[in-house]
Amino acid sequence: MVQRSHDGAGPPGAARGQALLSRRRLLQGGLAGAGALALGGLLGGCGPAAGPGGSTVRYWSLFNGGDGALMERMLAEIAEQAPHLRVEPTVLAWGAPYYTKLAMASVGGRAPETGIMHLSRLAGYAPGGLLDPFDLGLLAEFGVGAEHFLPELWGRASHDGRHYAIPLDTHPLIVFYDTGTADRAGLLTSEGALRAFESPEDFVEASRELAEASGDNGVAFGHVNDDAQGWRVFFSLYSQTGAAMELPAGGPAVFDPDAALRVFTLLAEVFDGETSSNRLDYQTALAGFSSGRSGLLFCGEWELPYLRDAVPDLGVAPFPTLFEQPASYADSHSFVLPRQSDPDPERVRAAHEFVALMVRASLTWAEAGHVPAYQPVVESAAYRGLGPQTDYAASAENPALEPAAWFAGAGSDFQSDMGSVVQTALMGAGPEAAVDQLDRALSNWVARTNPTEESA
Amino acid sequence: MSAPTVTRGQDTAPRSRGEQVASAPLLQRLAGSPWSFLLPFLLVYGAFLLWPLLRGFWLSFTDTALNGSGGAFVGLANYAEALGDPMMWNALGNTAFFTVISTVPLVLIALAMALLVHSGLPGQWLWRLSFFLPFLLPVATVALVWKFLYNQDFGLINQFIGFFGGEGVGWLSDTGVAMWSIALTTVWWTVGFNFLLYLAALQSIPDHLYEAAAIDGAGAWARLRSITLPQLRGTTVVVCVLQLLASLKVFDQIYLMTMGGPQDSTRSLLLYVYDVGFTGYRFGYSAAVSYLFLAIVVVISIVQLRLAARRRA
Repeated sequence: MVQRSHDGAGPPGAARGQALLSRRRLLQGGLAGAGALALGGLLGGCGPAAGPGGSTVRYWSLFNGGDGALMERMLAEIAEQAPHLRVEPTVLAWGAPYYTKLAMASVGGRAPETGIMHLSRLAGYAPGGLLDPFDLGLLAEFGVGAEHFLPELWGRASHDGRHYAIPLDTHPLIVFYDTGTADRAGLLTSEGALRAFESPEDFVEASRELAEASGDNGVAFGHVNDDAQGWRVFFSLYSQTGAAMELPAGGPAVFDPDAALRVFTLLAEVFDGETSSNRLDYQTALAGFSSGRSGLLFCGEWELPYLRDAVPDLGVAPFPTLFEQPASYADSHSFVLPRQSDPDPERVRAAHEFVALMVRASLTWAEAGHVPAYQPVVESAAYRGLGPQTDYAASAENPALEPAAWFAGAGSDFQSDMGSVVQTALMGAGPEAAVDQLDRALSNWVARTNPTEESA
Repeated sequence: MSAPTVTRGQDTAPRSRGEQVASAPLLQRLAGSPWSFLLPFLLVYGAFLLWPLLRGFWLSFTDTALNGSGGAFVGLANYAEALGDPMMWNALGNTAFFTVISTVPLVLIALAMALLVHSGLPGQWLWRLSFFLPFLLPVATVALVWKFLYNQDFGLINQFIGFFGGEGVGWLSDTGVAMWSIALTTVWWTVGFNFLLYLAALQSIPDHLYEAAAIDGAGAWARLRSITLPQLRGTTVVVCVLQLLASLKVFDQIYLMTMGGPQDSTRSLLLYVYDVGFTGYRFGYSAAVSYLFLAIVVVISIVQLRLAARRRA
């Protein structure tokens, strides 16, 4: 889409280069309409030098499905606003393969100008020299600076005094509920929102009522054979206890076994296998909830577009506070500058402009359910009118960002290891054994040396 | 490739006879020899198999990371670490378990199916097609379809069990069951290939053997035991070796169906190699585990071929 609209803007003489209809382009074409892209590319002329002073920004992302479609729309908007930027988007499958490719592209020195990275992965990339820092002065020229972000999020984006990531959104764990079922279970306030829970016991009780009201399953939580959900829910609740978790390289790992035991015990009580299933996988939990067989679902806000279509009486709320303080696991899709061995200053500048424009255009992105990181958008009237997103926007204010460690983060083995611990608590040897396993796993992880960091 | 060089050499430097005598016949001999036909293959083989094999072997003695950092020679440290790594042993155990529970039915069922089809069942083409068809499906399709079938909540299999009043099984979520489920899927998916090998072998057994046996008064069971099975011995060896190697290399269906879970109960050795190398970025260590695996595979293959050869002799 973006490319096509640029083709009109480019001079006819700039037709050199687009004959290279690479495989990646062709794959992109599959998203944007292969025929249109190929034809547009060949006829219109979209060579690297699109217009006078024009610069190419290659942009890697991991957004598919609904997110991908919205990303396309944002790119189209940017193309109109800044016709001098020629954006070449590449969409790759999310998860470990994406991060492997990003790392290898940086190693090869032929990385794209910019790409998306979960903020939680930064600790594994910035110290290893896989990323280039942003030029904050340059970014300020395009109207984006520290003052526009929540300090906690912004702080996590720097390493060694340099700034490596510009957050696009926060995507917290939230709860979805069926208003009809929740109402029958007596869990709605007079305004029709999910009521607050006073204690872990209160929530266990509520989960029983939800099971009765739905006639099947109380709370749906799909963690089996999933590489992240278990950790997300565990870490949300663990953070609610106020306990700390630190994973310094070389160890020892800091965590509170009593707090972890409280969390595992609560989870085991809720997901007892009778009132709420203890062995759902991600898809089953989603399917069960959307077909009305579960009253409540622990999931990320990114499922909002799908669930809004599937569940007529959908309610959304921040992840419930069951322990001492509100907190929910959150991560942030952020823009980074993968390291290039020979960066072109023109393109670097263009990448900064592109990132600033994207962040400022994140109202569109909010439609996917994500909470924009750029605060002027969050404070705008347009965003406030965006229901039901605003029902859980507060989640982003208490983000439980996972401990910064080179091995942690989205799509990491660490997360799936932690998921295995949760499976032990719910389907295996029980909460006490899970605490032991957690202890072993954490000690094991911190003892490993970061393979991507040059040893002194 | 070499022909133009030779002609040019002859045209431009007719006096340098010594050179010509030395080079031209060699090239000419090469052009006419079987080597010229093998050369393209050897180049590809060298570039994509031998070189990576040697390079990987070298990597296994270093601490190279995915991003190219490290790379220092660490001797046998990676191997020593692997031998003391409980995750590695767990993955190896899972792989061995999968190999046993998949290879045995994959050989026996294929043989049974081939015998049934060969016994003159009507509608042969239908049986051949339906037994072989699953093998043509891409692994992603197979994994997705079976994931739905196995789904504990709304999967067809559990619905079926529930219909008869049974308790649903956690096909992919129960640590004791998941590997069996994956093996079952694998058998359904790949048995057609072995079936085809057996069928071809059955068809090549000369009819006169059976005729002679019939004249001697041998019954169906005696014919099977004394003619069919001995005649199939060569095929059985091939099928067993191929199947054993294929099962040891299991990766795709596990990656797609359980990602090694629940609780690492289906993590195969290759999945572990992949995780360590590409998610954990430890290329050197991952190469060492790969080479340990290669050693195991080579030993098993040699033992198996030796046994087969002895039996035949």
